[in-house]
Amino acid sequence: MSYRPTIVAFLCNWCAYTGADLAGTSRLRYAPNIRIIRVMCSGRIEPTFILKAFQQGADGVLICGCHPGDCHYQEGNYKCLRRFKLIQKYVDQMGIEKDRLQLEWISASEGRQFAELVNNMTKTLLILGPSKIKSSLEVEHLKQ
Amino acid sequence: MEEPRIGVYICWCGTNIAKMVDVEAVSAEVGKLPHVVLAKNYKYMCSDPGQELIVKDIHGHQLNRVVVAACSPRIHELTFRKAVEKAGINPYLFEMANIREQDSWVHTDRTEATSKAIDLVVAAIRRVQFHEPLQKRSVNVDPATLIIGGGISGMVAALEIANAGKKVYLIEKTGRLGGHVIKFDLTFPHLSSARQMIRPILQRVENHPNIDVFLNTEIRDVTGYIGNFKTTIRINETESTELRFGNIIAAVGLKPFDPSKIEEYGYGKFPDVITSMEFEEMLGTGQVLTKYGKEPRNIAIIHCVGSRNKKYHEYCSRTCCMVALKFVHQIRASLPSANIFEIYADMRAYGKGHEEFYALTTHKQIIFLMYDQQERLPVISQADRNDNCNMVIRMNEKLSGESIEVPVDMVILMVNMEAHENVKEVVHAIGVSLCGNQFFIEKHPKLDPVATTTGGVYIVGTCQGPKDIPDSVSQARAAAARILATIATGSVAVEVTTASTNEKLCCGCQTCVKVCPYSAISYNEEKRSSEVNEVLCKGCGTCGSACPAGAITSKHFTDRQILAEIEGIMSMSFKGV
Repeated sequence: MSYRPTIVAFLCNWCAYTGADLAGTSRLRYAPNIRIIRVMCSGRIEPTFILKAFQQGADGVLICGCHPGDCHYQEGNYKCLRRFKLIQKYVDQMGIEKDRLQLEWISASEGRQFAELVNNMTKTLLILGPSKIKSSLEVEHLKQ
Repeated sequence: MEEPRIGVYICWCGTNIAKMVDVEAVSAEVGKLPHVVLAKNYKYMCSDPGQELIVKDIHGHQLNRVVVAACSPRIHELTFRKAVEKAGINPYLFEMANIREQDSWVHTDRTEATSKAIDLVVAAIRRVQFHEPLQKRSVNVDPATLIIGGGISGMVAALEIANAGKKVYLIEKTGRLGGHVIKFDLTFPHLSSARQMIRPILQRVENHPNIDVFLNTEIRDVTGYIGNFKTTIRINETESTELRFGNIIAAVGLKPFDPSKIEEYGYGKFPDVITSMEFEEMLGTGQVLTKYGKEPRNIAIIHCVGSRNKKYHEYCSRTCCMVALKFVHQIRASLPSANIFEIYADMRAYGKGHEEFYALTTHKQIIFLMYDQQERLPVISQADRNDNCNMVIRMNEKLSGESIEVPVDMVILMVNMEAHENVKEVVHAIGVSLCGNQFFIEKHPKLDPVATTTGGVYIVGTCQGPKDIPDSVSQARAAAARILATIATGSVAVEVTTASTNEKLCCGCQTCVKVCPYSAISYNEEKRSSEVNEVLCKGCGTCGSACPAGAITSKHFTDRQILAEIEGIMSMSFKGV
């Protein structure tokens, strides 16, 4: 089977998820290899969720929230940004290339930008190749 | 926990989903999963028979969890929550998978779209097993309403609510009520006076015992939630009274496009190139004269200025064509022998009485010239000294295919209606979103064009999109009716997906207290634990992800639920190599 990168995305309800919905209502086309999980605010996204997605075999994890200053909950996106910087360092140290984890701001009107983002990230992941983290975890498990 | 008995329903949405997703295959595949009692597909799940199907199955098969895969939860989550509630199940024991906006509408490969739908439904099935019943909370509704904007929409809404005996705070940024309409001379298509129409409304608003009007007033920040908002208004840029109210109507209107951005028209350079708004004012004086005080012999009216052009605004302003035709009648009345040129891109006469008005106007001895908005705009230049006119318009006339010159003494630019730049302040204060054209986004484009995704906040008039007076008034009255309904009920259901703390796990670090943007968390020294004030909590979940001890649960977005969703997504076809 040829490599098809898998993206797990966490989108905030108010801007990014609505923007992704707009891509749909505008009938824009983007790569089908993304699965979206809705959270109320990007500030809700825990490191555990990101690691879980990688552990389960995701080749990339995408986080989208409201643009700076536009957060529905005032400042959740800033907290998300801070956590993102830390977790990106962490995944890098775990052997997950840091481009596999991306954070972008998508407003409720940016359906086009969302579609482009998915396509661009897919291209990046095609170049990076499949994530090795899941198979290496499985080997560790067998040793035990 | 009782054993989950899940019913799964895949919606066709007519052909919207079924064309791209093999709904039969999805229901067959997910029907095999543990705890799934039944998996069905149906043409329109949101229809009455669709909802009835769920209710019947809940009774007939003792379901205790329901998953619907259909459109975005932003559209029908509430519909289905109500349906399961009707059958006696807690509305939160329900989950939706978005297989339309985020699947069938964005993909072109049926196999891929189908396997994506399966993954999303599996994720919802895994997630719903960890859902917990949440008890509805309701709060009392303060019967006062805040209306932002004193144009025709804001005033009509204010009267509607005030006449029902309820208090209205009407705040207006400028020094007078009336908005744009008070500057108009006549209205289309009946050519009746705008002032005669709006003056009585204005007087009633100003003298109404239930309406407090605040002029030169702005709002910075609104706190609270549906039923219980408050703000401190600023009159003449100084802090002023605190207002409390249960609902908000935004009626902030729009502003005319600045045509000096379009070089071809020379606005600002030629004194007799004026905007439609400036011409309205001129009509108010009763005379049509050039800047030099002469009667113009040749008048051109250029349509779509700043509209329907990717360089400026892609959307149609909806009213300008009819206003341009109205101008013809007014010019003809005062200058019977003048040449009038309607330079248009397309004539849009969609409304009640508009096509008839258009037909009537064509009998006024005017010349219609068509230009191609996408190709080349007409260009206005100074006439030669020997020419018998003030300016010349050079244009490609689309219907004849010829390049022509039109002599003119006055040009009226039918300017686009665009959003105010400073609208962002209001947007932040009341928590609504803007579309790409900076208009306020409604809750549902068809079924709920007056509400927003923020409870208790309504949008009326042109801040939601360009519209004429009757459309603005309808929207204003609709919002007023919605608000009066919640006031009459006296209470309204509020968000229950708040955070809660577990005293036993809380280590007392107070990280949550610091991250909460609503000051909803406080530290109880006696119990040595953080506590959430559920009335203030808006359920963003930031505290839940910050808590190092795992002591905070973000209800309905718990760690367990989201992790199950991730596992579900990755469990079927959506695997790596």
